[in-house]
Amino acid sequence: MDVALSAAGRRLLRALFVLVVLFLYAPILILLVFSFNDSQLPSFPLSGLTLDWYAEFFHDPELGDALETSAIVAALSSVGAVVLGTLASLALVRRRFVGKSAVSALLLSPLVIPYVVFGISLLLFFHAVGVERGVLTVVVGHIVISLPYTILVLVPRLEQIDVSLEEAAQDLGASRLRTFRSVTLPLIAPAIVAAFLIALTTSFDEYAVASFVVGDRATFPIYLYGALRFPSRLPEVIAVAVVVMLASLTVVVGAEIGRRVAERRLAA
Amino acid sequence: MGGGEGSLTARSAAADAAADLPPPARRGRRLLHADPATPALLGLPLAWLGVFFLVPIGIVAGYSLDALSIEPGPHALTLAGWRELVHEGVYLGLFWKSVQMSLLVSAVVVVLAYPLAYYLALSGTKRKYVLLLILIAPFLTSYLLRLLAWKVILGSQGVVNSFLFWTGLRDADHPLGQLLYSRFAVVLVLAYVWLPFVALPIFVSLESLDRRLLEAASDLGARRWQAFLQVTLPLSAPGVVAGFLFVFIPTVGEFVTPSLVGGTSGYMYGNQIVDLFGSGFPDWRTGAVLALFLLVVVAALTAVFARFLQFRQVTAG
Repeated sequence: MDVALSAAGRRLLRALFVLVVLFLYAPILILLVFSFNDSQLPSFPLSGLTLDWYAEFFHDPELGDALETSAIVAALSSVGAVVLGTLASLALVRRRFVGKSAVSALLLSPLVIPYVVFGISLLLFFHAVGVERGVLTVVVGHIVISLPYTILVLVPRLEQIDVSLEEAAQDLGASRLRTFRSVTLPLIAPAIVAAFLIALTTSFDEYAVASFVVGDRATFPIYLYGALRFPSRLPEVIAVAVVVMLASLTVVVGAEIGRRVAERRLAA
Repeated sequence: MGGGEGSLTARSAAADAAADLPPPARRGRRLLHADPATPALLGLPLAWLGVFFLVPIGIVAGYSLDALSIEPGPHALTLAGWRELVHEGVYLGLFWKSVQMSLLVSAVVVVLAYPLAYYLALSGTKRKYVLLLILIAPFLTSYLLRLLAWKVILGSQGVVNSFLFWTGLRDADHPLGQLLYSRFAVVLVLAYVWLPFVALPIFVSLESLDRRLLEAASDLGARRWQAFLQVTLPLSAPGVVAGFLFVFIPTVGEFVTPSLVGGTSGYMYGNQIVDLFGSGFPDWRTGAVLALFLLVVVAALTAVFARFLQFRQVTAG
């Protein structure tokens, strides 16, 4: 006898699981269907197939600019967050120092700050020091937001690495920097890549904080938010949505499969 | 992640949950001494957070006390803004409304996610990680775009209404009006957004449950539901609390979802803060007071429940 679930309970939970998954994916599928619908209004009955909306967004210069701005912001902020996160994680895992719990609390606190509060704080800060809002002000904010995520990915990985490897390198005469470059860095490389990807996707999708500190050049979420307020642009935005969602789902699933394959190879 | 605050926690937690990591190697102690290199490692990250995180919050505090102001000229420090918050019930009322909406969203999401996590963790299904990935994948797509999907579905000419007209279930002159731009829409969309995420911490806590405890309960004559109520549920409580807080904390200050699907009845505390800094009738002092009040509440919640938030791996040691 199964101690956790009866046969009927199992069937019930499986049915619930299927229902919830349908609920989660139905809106995405509905967008997919209406992205091919030949009508200004996304409503029933479907009026015919078209690829116009896809063509339209490929030729939308504003969208292209927004994607480019977001790519720049995401690249800069994720490099920044990973560098800062690696430094902080090394200190948290490999060093003893006074006030460590306070330091780690501070490093992780951007996880829980309401973004509306952080956005406004940054806005007032840049206002106070007289900095024009622009691409770099968004980058600054995104580094703060992404930093704790990179630490949450890097610290467990660093903890897994046997310190004796680093000690051996140092006993053999390697300097600290050399030890990091030749021993630690290769060992945490997968975690660094993961941290980088997390920071990248966070930044690319971040609207709340960016909405306060963005300048004239809209990022992709800022552009989307604007477009959502104009019904005439809805079909085109739906097409964009489908492409972006399928792309991100592919990346997620691909990354997961890649990780499994790598793990299996390591285990073998 | 737009207003999807905290979503990244989801990702890292997802990675942790799915990774099935072996226990950390025993750490040697030789490199763990006080060291002049520590400031070199910590200097940059701490300086960054100091300048771009703590100082900005300090500036908000300055505005809330009139130490800083948009109006030129000298100012005396005053608590007028804070007094206004307490005495004018409007803002606290709105805060309370946001708290209620967030409690509802968090409760709905936890109640729905628990059986799913239970199924994945304890039914013995071989594909639990694949199913988990299927469950959380929507969470990893764009927040704004999932919001867009609901706008398309719930609109007065949207998918639901037009389907009802088309099938004749409803007269085209009388669409279901409360679907979009309502408190209902905000709660529905937020629950939709957070549901996949919240299954994670619950799954992790159920996964680590020792099945032998359930076997022991069963051997001692407990029925399944008794074992569930007295063993499984208490042992998975940390995951439930973590999931609840991970949703509740960002939802109290939410402003993106209500601004897109909330209309006036879905207007939340976060929208009020944004509007006080907006171009209409800006009132930075009151806005700063509201923002800081929210921050204090969230910080207090975080401090009280810190041990449930599963940051221990980082803070320990």
